[in-house]
Amino acid sequence: MSGALERRPGPRRRPALGYDERNAAILVFPVVAVLLVVAAYPILYSFWVSLHDIVLTRPLRRPFVGFDNYLRIFDDERFWLAVSRTTVYTVVTVAVTTLLAVLVALLLNEAFPGQRILSALLLVPWATPSVVNGLMWKWIYDPTYGLLNALLVQLGLLERYRAWLGDPDLTLLLIANAAVWKQMPLAALLLIVTMKAIPDDLYRAAKVDGANVFQRFIHVTLPALRPGLMLVLVYETMISIRHFDLFLIMTQGGPGDASFTLSWLIYVETFRSLRFGTGAAMSYVLAMATFLLSWALIRWLGKRI
Amino acid sequence: MATITCERITKRYGGVVAVDALDLTIRHGEFMVLLGPSGCGKTTTLNMIAGLEEISEGRLLFDDKDVTWQPPHKREVAMVFQSYALYPNKTVRENIAFPLQLRRTPREEITRAVTEVAEQLEIGHLLDRRPSQLSGGQRQRVALGRAIVRKPSVFLMDEPLSNLDATLRLSMRSLIKHLHHRLRATFVYVTHDQAEAMTLADRIAVMKGGLVQQLDTPEGIYARPANTFVAAFLGSPQINLVQGEIAPDGSFARGAFRLALPPGAAQPGRAVTLGLRPEDVGTLAPGLARLEARVDLVSPLGSETHLEVVAGDDVKLTLRVPKEWRAQEGQVIAVGVDPARLHLFDATTDARL
Repeated sequence: MSGALERRPGPRRRPALGYDERNAAILVFPVVAVLLVVAAYPILYSFWVSLHDIVLTRPLRRPFVGFDNYLRIFDDERFWLAVSRTTVYTVVTVAVTTLLAVLVALLLNEAFPGQRILSALLLVPWATPSVVNGLMWKWIYDPTYGLLNALLVQLGLLERYRAWLGDPDLTLLLIANAAVWKQMPLAALLLIVTMKAIPDDLYRAAKVDGANVFQRFIHVTLPALRPGLMLVLVYETMISIRHFDLFLIMTQGGPGDASFTLSWLIYVETFRSLRFGTGAAMSYVLAMATFLLSWALIRWLGKRI
Repeated sequence: MATITCERITKRYGGVVAVDALDLTIRHGEFMVLLGPSGCGKTTTLNMIAGLEEISEGRLLFDDKDVTWQPPHKREVAMVFQSYALYPNKTVRENIAFPLQLRRTPREEITRAVTEVAEQLEIGHLLDRRPSQLSGGQRQRVALGRAIVRKPSVFLMDEPLSNLDATLRLSMRSLIKHLHHRLRATFVYVTHDQAEAMTLADRIAVMKGGLVQQLDTPEGIYARPANTFVAAFLGSPQINLVQGEIAPDGSFARGAFRLALPPGAAQPGRAVTLGLRPEDVGTLAPGLARLEARVDLVSPLGSETHLEVVAGDDVKLTLRVPKEWRAQEGQVIAVGVDPARLHLFDATTDARL
């Protein structure tokens, strides 16, 4: 065979996926497929909608308008009003939820009689459906037979019944209160889990070092809580900024424009004015704002952990 | 410096008594080791001295001052934990400085004290690192630094070396001993490691079931254990304990096994437990009792050899012999035992006779 060219086996190419990776890909594929259908497709479709002037009162004409819908939003006074209302609502809800969650977590992290029952009861508001929560608080605030009026009048703190949700200065805060009532338990639970992981020896060392209760909270608990706090802040911000159900049930954006938030604006634009193009564009703006805010929070808090 | 006096201090958790009417005086500048197995009450005792556990009954005095109800930071104690308990978010510098900051010490003084301590413990190059960036040994040095920086009169150490590997443990042990010599403060050290206790302590309190079984110097505890528990807890390999009785001729007897005892060691017929430390055997010589046994297992350790032997019918013993002894498994050997070095305990109470 002299002179014949022998084909030398070249270096064996490594398969693109290893055995484990291939198996993992097979197992993950159904989930990815479902997600593509139920998440990716609607996201891409709504983006397509946001680039067209789609109004359901003239369903057959849907011209491509590029980013005109987006530009129109920023010229719309209602949008900026909704941004300010949403900002107030989100800041109040997230701040109060986080603060209360820290206090409740600190309380429930201590051993005392009834601590287990209280921990279980804590979860009741969280387990209550949003619609039920909205209706419950609407009844509590009711101007004629509401519990809040009855309580305050009987305590002598109020002279006569008043329409709480009809007061534009209070509406957002009262809806925020209903949101806090429902959202705080989960936040507290997340913080309790983080707190349980703090080694007891750290507290003991701090006691021996001379730290009082407040100093122990600042130097031991708070630094250890940061991962939990970041989770709570990001999650609560994402939830609050997009809140819709409480506004639908309790005030429908009113009185006047007192609770006219971004979610409510999107709802009005899409399902009442039937302008799906601008509605989709607004949804995209809201989604991007939520994403950017969460990213900023994670970066800001992540550096401090 | 401070003398610590525990006057019948008791700690109860519900119906469980963790420490039972403990009377213990720890002298000025003494290195006291509380030694015992898990659950014996040694850490609870330390925590009561620190003020981290309330005392259910009794009084605790520092010098002549009653500190039973004083919070930890008013007792001028420093504590080192098994888990190091370093603040994870603070740098080494901030960890060491923390107790001084809490006492509102001037900044320049804190800087000076931290630098001095870091030099003493050879951790000056680690001052800007966080605990997660340190090895176990380095973390324990930082924990020691945090303890010594404020010059307390009492140091409390809760198994500080248990999380370290064997080599590091040895070097840290020397470091702690040097620290004690230099600071001359009162040290209370909790451990279940007999080697740590023997090498570090001025005195050892061996504890079991919330009670002090024996309080003595390391040499005293090893040479004259108060009961079988103490005898078995100290020494490696463990002391040989054989149950039997005193024969009419005054020797120890169990079946065919006989061993001569010092004259009048105990009444003939009395049920006793014999204690024989593995190293208390040697070549036969006049004045030594003869112990004949069949070698069951030979374990050479390089510096010495451990023999597992069977004497009499069923008496299994471990002997520590020089490495030059070339014993074969199955061989019958005869060794000499100094009767004066044997230990006798009452078979019922386990107390030393």
